[in-house]
Amino acid sequence: MTEEAILRTEGLTCDFGALRAVNGVSLSVTPGTLHSVIGPNGSGKTTLFNLISGELRPTGGRVYLEGRDVTGVASHDLPHLGLARCFQRTNVFPKLTTYDNVWVAAFSRHTPGALGFLKRASDFASVDAEARRILDAVGLAHKVAAPAETLSHGQQRALEVGVTLASSPRLVLLDEPTQGLAPEATQHMTRLVQSLVGRYTILLIEHKMRIVMSISNRISVMAFGELIAEGTADEVRDNRDVQRAYLGTRR
Amino acid sequence: MNVAFFAGAILNGLVTGMLYALMGVGLSLILGLLNIPNFAHGVLYALGAYVMISAGKAFGFLGGALTALAVVGLLGAVIEYFGVRRLYRVHSDYILLLSFGLSLILTESIILVWGPVGITSQPPAFLTGGIDLGVTVYPKYRLAVMFITTALVLGCYLFVTRTRYGAILRAGIEDKDMAAALGINIRRVFTLTFAVGTGLAGLGGALMSPVRGLLPTMGIDILPFAFVVVVLGGLGSLPGAILAGLLVGVVQSLMTAIWAPGADASVFALMTLGIIARPQGLLGRR
Amino acid sequence: MFEGRPGAFLRFVLLLVAIVALPLAVRPVVASEIWIFSIAAMALNLIFGYTGMLSFGQATFFGLAAYTSGLMMIHWHAPLLVVLAAGTLVGALAAAAVGYVCIQRVGTYFIMLTFGFNQMFFFIAYKWTAVTGGDDGLPGIPRPPLALGPWSISLETSVRYYVFVAVVFLLAFYAMKRIVDSPLGVIFQSIRENPVRAAAVGYDVKWYKWIAFTLAGAFTGFAGVLYSMMFGIVPLESISWIISGDIVFMVLIGGIGNLYGPLLGAAAFKWLSEAISVLWNRWPLILGVALVLVVLFLRGGLVEAFARIRGAFGGGGGRRDADEGVPVRVGAEGEART
Repeated sequence: MTEEAILRTEGLTCDFGALRAVNGVSLSVTPGTLHSVIGPNGSGKTTLFNLISGELRPTGGRVYLEGRDVTGVASHDLPHLGLARCFQRTNVFPKLTTYDNVWVAAFSRHTPGALGFLKRASDFASVDAEARRILDAVGLAHKVAAPAETLSHGQQRALEVGVTLASSPRLVLLDEPTQGLAPEATQHMTRLVQSLVGRYTILLIEHKMRIVMSISNRISVMAFGELIAEGTADEVRDNRDVQRAYLGTRR
Repeated sequence: MNVAFFAGAILNGLVTGMLYALMGVGLSLILGLLNIPNFAHGVLYALGAYVMISAGKAFGFLGGALTALAVVGLLGAVIEYFGVRRLYRVHSDYILLLSFGLSLILTESIILVWGPVGITSQPPAFLTGGIDLGVTVYPKYRLAVMFITTALVLGCYLFVTRTRYGAILRAGIEDKDMAAALGINIRRVFTLTFAVGTGLAGLGGALMSPVRGLLPTMGIDILPFAFVVVVLGGLGSLPGAILAGLLVGVVQSLMTAIWAPGADASVFALMTLGIIARPQGLLGRR
Repeated sequence: MFEGRPGAFLRFVLLLVAIVALPLAVRPVVASEIWIFSIAAMALNLIFGYTGMLSFGQATFFGLAAYTSGLMMIHWHAPLLVVLAAGTLVGALAAAAVGYVCIQRVGTYFIMLTFGFNQMFFFIAYKWTAVTGGDDGLPGIPRPPLALGPWSISLETSVRYYVFVAVVFLLAFYAMKRIVDSPLGVIFQSIRENPVRAAAVGYDVKWYKWIAFTLAGAFTGFAGVLYSMMFGIVPLESISWIISGDIVFMVLIGGIGNLYGPLLGAAAFKWLSEAISVLWNRWPLILGVALVLVVLFLRGGLVEAFARIRGAFGGGGGRRDADEGVPVRVGAEGEART
C-alpha cells in the first residue's frame, strides 16, 4: 500500500502576464521525508513555494495537502491545515522581541475562542512553554528579550525557522534557510533541519549542493519553471539534463 | 427641469470634473513617486486662487495666472527640498503629517494676509458673458476654463508618457533606488515632480476662482474630492485620475441639480461602491 | 496587577497624581477635556501605534456619538449610563461599517479613505441642519445626574463633572490596558510589523484590523458622549477633520505605541492650544508649526523627549526604539517582559 503523499501538486502553473514562471509542475512529497527542490536562479522555486503556501494564486493546476484540495486557499488558513513556510528573505516581526515573534506564531494555533481574549497574553502557559521550547531548539534561548531587528543575520535566519515551526505544522516549507550564513552557522542550521526530519515533513529549497545531496531523501530539479528531473541524490547527480541546466557548474 | 437645465448641469459637471482631474493628476504624480497623500494639495489650490486675486490686479489675467503657477510651484519645490526630502527614509506617514501641518500653516497664513471673509473675483473682460450652444446658453469663461484644464491634463499625460523626462519619472516611480543607481538625478526629479504637481493645483485654483469664489477653507473643502479622484482612479494611474475626475464632477453636479443636500454624500457613495467593486481603482494596476 | 514591575507601578501612580493635580493646574473644564481626548487618543493609538493603520477620520465616530447622545438627551431625557452605552455602540457600529470599506486598502489609500468618510459625514452634518443644527451646532444638551440604584449624583458643576470624567477615564484606561495585554496586543503589533508574515502564521489580517478599528471606534464614541455634555452643545467641529487632525497630533506628539504616550500628547496639546488661543486666535498656525517641527526633528514625540532627558541624567528607562517609541514587548507600560 503506497503511503498517501502529504503534499501533491498537479500541473501547477503560474503566469505573470506573458511570463510563465512555473509551468506544469507536478510533484509529490512523502510524509516524514526531506524533499529538496533545487535549480538555477530564476527557475521558479520560490514561486512554486508561493503557489503552495497561498501567497500566489496559480493560473493553472492544483495543490493537495494531505489529500485535501488547497488550491488558492488563503495563506492565513494553511497553518491551520498543517502547513507552514519560511521565507527566503528574512521575514520576521522586526520590532517585536524574539520571544514575541515565536509566541504570536504559536498562539495562532490555539484558538481560545472569544473569551480567551479577555485573558492576558502571559496567562497562556502552554503557549509560553511552546515558544520557549522552540527558541531553545533553534538556539535563541539567550536572546528572548531582544528585538528581532537587533539579531545578527544568522540569528534572524534561526528565528525565521523558529517562527515557522511555532505553527506546529506537519509540512514545513523551508526557503533557503542557510541563505547568507557563514560556514559555522550553516552547519548549525543544517543540523537543525536534519533534526526535524521524521517529526516534520520538509520541503526544502537550497542552493548549497553539498547539503542537499547529503540530507535529502528525494530531490526535484527545476529549470525555467519546469520540473526537469526527480530522484535520489545519486540519480539526480548523474542526470544529464540536470548537469546541462546548471551549465556544468558543481558546488 | 428641462433639457437646458440638465445640459447646464452636465457642463458644470465637466468643468468641475476637469478641475478635479487636474487636482487628481497632480496628486497622483506626487503619490506615485513619493507614496504619500499630499494633504497640502488643497491649500495650495487655495493659495493659487488667492495669489491670482492679488497678482491679477497688477499683471492682468494671464500674468496673474502665471504668477499663481510660479509661486505655488516654487513653494512646492521648497517644501520638497527642505521638508519632504528629510523624510524619505522614514515611514511615509510622517510626510503625510508634515503636509498636514503645512496645510494648517498655509490656511492660517491666507487668513492673515487676505482676511477670513470670502472674496469673489471676476473673469477677464474678454471672457465674460455667455455663449449660445443651442441646447443652452453657457458662460464663456467656464468653457474656456474647461478647455484650458483639459489641455493641461492632456499635456501632463503626454509629457509623462511620451517624453524622455516622463520616462525617467516613471522609472523613478517603479524603483527609485534603481533609477538613482542608473545615474539619474532622482532627487531633482522628485523636486520637479512635486513642483509640477503642486503648481498645477495652484493654477487650477487661479483659473477656477471666478467660477467658485474664494474662501480660506476652499482648500480643505476640495481636498477630499481630490482624494476620492485618486482612490477611485487607481494607483498612480493618470488616465484613471482623469476618468475618475470627470465621473466625480458630473455625478456631483447632477446631484446638486436634483437634490442638493445629497450632492457631496453621493460622491463618497460612489467612492465606496468603487472601492468595494474594484479595489484597485477604475484603471489601477493590481 | 503589576506583578513586581516597579516601573509600571510608578507610572500608574504618577497617572493618579496627575488626575488629582490637574484641576489645580488648569481650569476643570480644560482638565476634563484632556481626559476625554486622552480616550480618543488612546483609541487612535490602538489602530496606529499598535496595528499600524493611520486613521485621519476618528472624528466621524467622535461626532456621530456626540450627536446621537445629544439628541437622546434632548428629546428623550435619556439617563447618563444609557447615553454612554448608546454612544459607544454608535461609535463601534459606525467604525465597523466604515472600517470594513477602509481596510480593503492599506497605507496611503487607507488614510485617504478614512479622511474621505469623515468629510462625508461632516458634509451631511453640515447640511442636515434640522437634526444637527448645522454650523450652529446642537445646543441645549442637559447634563443628567449619575443614577446608581437609589443614589443620584448631580454632575452640574465643572468640578463634579471632572471627577466623573476622571473616573470613567480610568475605567477606559483599564479596558485599553486589558486589550493591549491580551493576545490581541501582540497580534495587532505583528500586523503592524509584517502583515504578510502575520498571515503566513495563521492570522486573518483583515479580520483583526477590522476588530482593532471597531474597538477604537467604540472608545472614540465613548469620548464623544463625554464631550457632548461638556458645554451643553455639540459643535459642528466635533465631526470635522479638525478634531481628526487634533487626535492625530496628540498621538504623534505624545509618542505612539505605548499606552501613556497618547495621554501626554492630549495633555500637551490641550494645554498648549488653550494657552495659545487666549493669546492669538490664529493658533492653528502655531499648531502647524509645532507639527512640522515634531515631524522633522522629534519623531518619537514627547515620550522620546522625556526619554532623552532621562538619558541625559543617566536614567535607563525601558528599551525603546528611538524613532517610534514602540515598546519591545506588548506590555502597556513599555517594559521589556520575558
